[in-house]
Amino acid sequence: MSTNIPSNLNYTKEHEWTLTEGDIVTIGITDFAQSALGDIVFVEVPEVGADLKVGATFGVVESIKSVSDLYSPISGEVIAKNNDVEASPEKINQDAYGSWLIKVKMKDHSEINKLLSAEQYQEFCNTSH
Amino acid sequence: MSELLRTNLYDEHVKLGGKIVPFAGWEMPVQYTSVKDEALAVRNSVGVFDVSHMGEFFIEGKDAEAFADYLVTNDILNAPTGKAVYSPLCRENGTVVDDLIVYKIAPERVMICVNASNIEKDFDWMKTKKTGFDCSFTNLSHVFSLLALQGPKALETLKSFVNELPDLEYYSVFETSIGSHPVILARTGYTGEDGFEIFGHHQTIKDLWKNLMAVGVTPCGLAARDVLRLEVCYPLYGHELNDEVNPYDAGLAWTVKPLKTKFIGKDILESKPAKYKLVKLILEKGIPREGYAVLNAKNEVIGQVTSGTMSVVLNKGICLARIQIDKAPTDEVFSIDIRNKAYPAQLVKKPFVTGGHK
Repeated sequence: MSTNIPSNLNYTKEHEWTLTEGDIVTIGITDFAQSALGDIVFVEVPEVGADLKVGATFGVVESIKSVSDLYSPISGEVIAKNNDVEASPEKINQDAYGSWLIKVKMKDHSEINKLLSAEQYQEFCNTSH
Repeated sequence: MSELLRTNLYDEHVKLGGKIVPFAGWEMPVQYTSVKDEALAVRNSVGVFDVSHMGEFFIEGKDAEAFADYLVTNDILNAPTGKAVYSPLCRENGTVVDDLIVYKIAPERVMICVNASNIEKDFDWMKTKKTGFDCSFTNLSHVFSLLALQGPKALETLKSFVNELPDLEYYSVFETSIGSHPVILARTGYTGEDGFEIFGHHQTIKDLWKNLMAVGVTPCGLAARDVLRLEVCYPLYGHELNDEVNPYDAGLAWTVKPLKTKFIGKDILESKPAKYKLVKLILEKGIPREGYAVLNAKNEVIGQVTSGTMSVVLNKGICLARIQIDKAPTDEVFSIDIRNKAYPAQLVKKPFVTGGHK
């Protein structure tokens, strides 16, 4: 499976990507994840103001066939959610990195260091299936 | 776990980029490109499924029709030769061993097509019931490959490949050939669309598959098949049907013919015992999945989703659900518990999608 893994992002083993800009972390799912899921038809993410804990589930992505949990890459407060993607989940299939799900104001910067780099994520994708 | 089986078309599926998953003891393609595109190809044009994993039994001889009629709850004896009949196969206590199609191919020659997961269970069960019937009974599942060519363009697509193809009625069967190779052709399927199921020897079917690919027929996987059957509310064994329920529990009253003089389960099924009611529910928001709880207006659990998906035609969540008959609400206000939140669900009487079959 060919996958697109931008070098400026961080990743989780649950196939989320993160973009860090100061305190703000933008979160989405990777190209690998969208390709594995197939047609994405439903996205559920928390409301603005919700408190996320690193490693805890914060929402779901559903394809026609399956339900997949989303796991928070970091701890913090949700400050924005992407209503466009909730209304048109197929946008994730078209552009996984352009279709962010939520923006979080992070609590603990050190959590970012525990995420995978692009190279590490590539390696993980190569060996995990 | 025993080793997974592969159909004769396995290499073709891999070449086409099919995503292979274990299913009923077989390695089968779940999808090739997109479940949605594959399902819509069947609704609007034509698609083909490799369903060679399914089982084919043959009953031949003087009592062939009588034996088939005795085994199943639907009426085989009164159906004319050339007809196909859908039926549950029940035990004496009325529970469902499997659901299947009986094909009356020729006088004294009957084929039964059964679910892949139940081939051995069905064959063993049926064999024990053959005493007193003058006919042979054989399992030829390993000899046949099977394609389901489905969609409004199925007839015109298939015409160019088979030697003779009359405009058969829906649910009928016909013996013809492809070149010099015999095939059994049935106007049946599991999508609600017009279409054919083509039973033939492995190489005949492999050649036909390749020819269908060459003329641009969309290869379709199990996921599309599941969406298509659910949109038209066809039951699936292991979901709506199982060893614990009877046909009345699964909305299949129309397939039980208590007036038949004898059939397995008659004594119990005559009284129409039903513990459950199978309902069709559609959601404005949320996707129901198998096992989710169905709630009444007071948020009490009254049943479970047996199959659920996102309809590709309606773009809404749809499901079949088994409701306990004594708890069926009279006001018909339902919701479904999706991740601890109650999503309203509307009861519908007719299938979610009207297939285009004749």
